[in-house]
Amino acid sequence: MRIVVCIKQVPASNDTKIDPETKRIIREGVKAILNPFDTYAIEEGIQLRERFGGEVITISMGPPKAEDILREALSLGVDKAILLSDKDFAGSDTWATSYILSRAIKRIGDVGLVICGKQAIDGDTAQVGPGIAAHLSWGQATYVMAVEDLSSSFIRVKRMHEDGYDICEISLPAVITVVKDINIPRVPTLKGRLASLKRDIPVWKPENINAEKAKIGLDGSPTRVVKIEPPPSRHTSSKRIEGSAKECAISLLRELRSRSLL
Amino acid sequence: MIYHFINKKYLIEVLPPKQDTENLEEDLEKFTTRYLKVINSGYCACITDNAMGYLSFQGTEIIEEFNLPVLPEQVIIHLNTFHRKDDLDNILHTCKLKGVKYLLVVTGDGSIRLPKLRPQDLYFTGVDSVTSVELIEYINREYPYTFILGVAFNPYEPEEHEFEKLDKKIKAGAEFIITQPLLGENLVVKKLIKNYPGIPIFVEAWMSKKLHLLSEVVGYELPENREFDPIATLRILHRLYPECGFYLSLLGFKTQYDLIQDTWI
Repeated sequence: MRIVVCIKQVPASNDTKIDPETKRIIREGVKAILNPFDTYAIEEGIQLRERFGGEVITISMGPPKAEDILREALSLGVDKAILLSDKDFAGSDTWATSYILSRAIKRIGDVGLVICGKQAIDGDTAQVGPGIAAHLSWGQATYVMAVEDLSSSFIRVKRMHEDGYDICEISLPAVITVVKDINIPRVPTLKGRLASLKRDIPVWKPENINAEKAKIGLDGSPTRVVKIEPPPSRHTSSKRIEGSAKECAISLLRELRSRSLL
Repeated sequence: MIYHFINKKYLIEVLPPKQDTENLEEDLEKFTTRYLKVINSGYCACITDNAMGYLSFQGTEIIEEFNLPVLPEQVIIHLNTFHRKDDLDNILHTCKLKGVKYLLVVTGDGSIRLPKLRPQDLYFTGVDSVTSVELIEYINREYPYTFILGVAFNPYEPEEHEFEKLDKKIKAGAEFIITQPLLGENLVVKKLIKNYPGIPIFVEAWMSKKLHLLSEVVGYELPENREFDPIATLRILHRLYPECGFYLSLLGFKTQYDLIQDTWI
């Protein structure tokens, strides 16, 4: 089966700054990393290939620098990587982004499964995975914590809920978004990293994926960010526990239990 | 380990490139140059494992990739508890294959990208987490008579608790000890030497001039502007701990390397 993993480059810092004019994230001068949730998507793609065969292709939409995360994915063991980069893609909201990714998936062809991280840590919307499924008219399962079975026609997954989980069976092709509980991501090996430096990464533009200009970039984005404000800071309080080490330990245990933290 | 005492040879820390480096090839060259310099000088290269929580390439994979020489008395591989089980097994397998004899087993600096080994990974039941004790037991069980394992000792932790932990590590099979960095006489380390007469002990000497970076380790504030002469301190440590070997952390290869030659007389 051909599996596509969608990944995103995000600012490494938690101290994300927003351009007050454009309401977009300021990326200049900020170290960029692979979105942490996407590492689980990559790992799952590779594990599924190891279990069931096939190939894993990773795609990312972003500036030319996003090539770095695609090389990281290659060093982890994905088979191919494609960058979607063009000035006309700039300013795309989650709807336009998921349209662009869906066009790329169409262009790749014969894709059985798309895997995304549950959300990116910069925008935190969790909309792109479901958006891809909507554009492709495919089934989807979000917050997947385990893939129980995969065949040529269906996938059975365990979806995480606040109160437990449910098990869904979806016809393929389909899109899933995954949570951290799904696996333990591997880290790149030196051999893999050195090999990845020599790989070609094709860059696709709107014309390569037959994307309609009216559906990409700012023009194709129905949402507008009207205002951005930092969330109110959380109220924290501290309590000092005194006594001998044993007394402190007992008090701490009591305190944690009384707050249902243990 | 006796080799290092008899021959007055330092253990010298060598840091492998970080995973997120933007100059991988340059950093690898720097690492291999330093490694070979240490080996060719007769010292022992100690390769860290994700030091300070920074995700780095493993010493074993660099040794393998560049076919670096491994002289059993001159290489120590650090190994902490933050690994996937298959990665841990790969590291141990490569160590055995390449003839690495010494491992420094530490509970370790974590990394957000790395999970801690779970008790079930190492076939333990009845323990909540994997510490260096479980890791030592696992290594000795899976690779009997293959490695000589060392452990860390932190004289800045509550003394009773630290000695209790050390006892467990020794019982598990640890055969040498490396302390946290010392800046002068330390009564806890004196006690350590007295309590474990048969076990080689290495004192860590902090070779960076940035002494304030040690504040967190020693548990009190070391001011940023405090003058610190690492070479002079190393000489003092030699006088204070004549029975110990020495582990040099963050040694300046350009500025300090030639200066350490005549410090161990």
